Amino acid sequence: MTRNILLRVSVAILFLYFAVALLAPFIAPYGATAIVGAPLQPPDSEHLLGTNNVGQDIFSQLVYGSQVTLIFGFCSALLSVSISTCAGIVLGYYGGSVDEVVCRVLDVLMPIPIFPLLIVLTTFFNPGVVQVSIVMGVLGSIHGIRLIRAPALSLAETPFIEGAKSIGASDLRIMSRHILPNLMPIVTVKFVTASQHFLVMGVGLSFIGLWDTMTVDWGSMIQNAYSGGALSLGLWWWILPPGLAVVGISLALALAGYSLEESFNPRLEVNRI
Amino acid sequence: MIDGQYLLRRIGYSGAAFFVCVSITFFILHLMPGDYITNYLLSLSNTLPKEVVAQFYQQYGLDRPPWEQYLIYIYNILQGQWGYSYQYGLPVFPLIMEKLTWSLVILLPAVLFGIIIGIVLGAWSGWRSGGKKDLALFNFMIVFRAIPEFWWAIMAVWVFAFSLQWFPLGGFSSISVLDSGLDPWDVLYHAILPICLMTSFVATGNYYVMRNSMIAVIGEDYITTARAKGLDEHAVLWNHALKNALLPMVTMTTFQVAGIIMGNVFIETVFSWPGIGLLTTEALTMRDLPLLEGIFLLDALMTIGAMLVADILVSYLDPRIRMGGQ
Repeated sequence: MTRNILLRVSVAILFLYFAVALLAPFIAPYGATAIVGAPLQPPDSEHLLGTNNVGQDIFSQLVYGSQVTLIFGFCSALLSVSISTCAGIVLGYYGGSVDEVVCRVLDVLMPIPIFPLLIVLTTFFNPGVVQVSIVMGVLGSIHGIRLIRAPALSLAETPFIEGAKSIGASDLRIMSRHILPNLMPIVTVKFVTASQHFLVMGVGLSFIGLWDTMTVDWGSMIQNAYSGGALSLGLWWWILPPGLAVVGISLALALAGYSLEESFNPRLEVNRI
Repeated sequence: MIDGQYLLRRIGYSGAAFFVCVSITFFILHLMPGDYITNYLLSLSNTLPKEVVAQFYQQYGLDRPPWEQYLIYIYNILQGQWGYSYQYGLPVFPLIMEKLTWSLVILLPAVLFGIIIGIVLGAWSGWRSGGKKDLALFNFMIVFRAIPEFWWAIMAVWVFAFSLQWFPLGGFSSISVLDSGLDPWDVLYHAILPICLMTSFVATGNYYVMRNSMIAVIGEDYITTARAKGLDEHAVLWNHALKNALLPMVTMTTFQVAGIIMGNVFIETVFSWPGIGLLTTEALTMRDLPLLEGIFLLDALMTIGAMLVADILVSYLDPRIRMGGQ
């Protein structure tokens, strides 16, 4: 399969997920937490994917759960990449003592283990998915700043930046019109891979039960099914749908990330064929 | 090579980073909403006797101002006194060590095998990059890595433990432990499935870095030179390409070895393995502050130590990198 087809397929899958999340109230036949049938019903025409142990419709939960999971994954990725891009460009462009100080601070912050700290911080903002994704985005940006700063630093030394300066372009204009476009490939790839990373991490956090247990999302659905004995009872419709939903979007994002990386990085491409 | 003065500065710097880390985590943990005694009492009944709460606060010094608690904490840490867990009533350090041993049973072999397998596969794949076999392996690895760890674990439990019944469903020992004590073979039998899973996760991560590093190295001029000298491919691979491609792996593997200390909460949850990852989540939900602080302290110590060790190792192995000097 060529890179282009792969990229298109993954983008199409992503659009499908977005459509489901946006149109959730129209697609889902029941509410996410409404008890609408007998417990543990196998799939039939009334309940497309059956019901769980308290009689909630699994298909509806799956559809509504996509909202939480997608908001979390993409919000935190957007925030983290925006912060690291802005900070990286400013540091790389101005350099000097500010750059020096910020890099020292980053050096100190880097070794703090992010994952456990994140788990602690989620307890501060218990019910809010958006708040948790803000925390995640801010923490996640620490590692990205250096990634953007290095190429920004070398771009700032190039003749065309010097040229822009000499015709009197403002710093803001140089950074937004001349440096940023040249960094877009890195930023795009970083955004896609970060979305995948955060999305999976969000589902994982929810799976180990460190999220508000009242929100319905794929992680808590898997957790319910797993601890409720879906495996030993052979209730595949309870545990498989949320898991496959995560696998689907994670795969689509991962493949999109690799395809983009290859199309932006000619050296990788040469080595592939 | 390492400049002695720079090394000293670097060590001092790591010490500072450690101090900042510990301070930040202390305040974040103490600001955490909810506390142990309230959670615990409310789980027993609906009433919350004021005197009991007050006594608990007084006993653990939680009634003092935060900065005073902080100073006492730092003083105790410097004395090697890590405090007592609220929920277990035991000293924190031995408690962490006990759980850590269980995590090590899985993670130590997994990380070792994972590093070796990842490097071998990555080197092979990078050396033959562009070939059909390389592409097949590469695509397989992308797919493998894109699927979350806990989902692989659940599927593994389903297939190998439920359907095929080759392995136990979880836990670390059979019920016979009550009669005959802990049997190493029994523990191994319980650990095989999680070890295999962890090995594959570690291996895929290393595979990417090794493959990319190998691809970068075989594009270098000195490889062309080696070939132009008339060396056979074997010598080029073993003496020129592999040694240089392994350099980025030093940093990565050092961090992986240090990361063992955190356990793997997903694997431990799915397999009900009593490791450090589960201890962390339990301590969090119970708001067991001394235990959490102990775990974070150990994490920070290992991560900062790994950074230092990796830097020193790399500068020894690669004479082109001089620590400190330009």
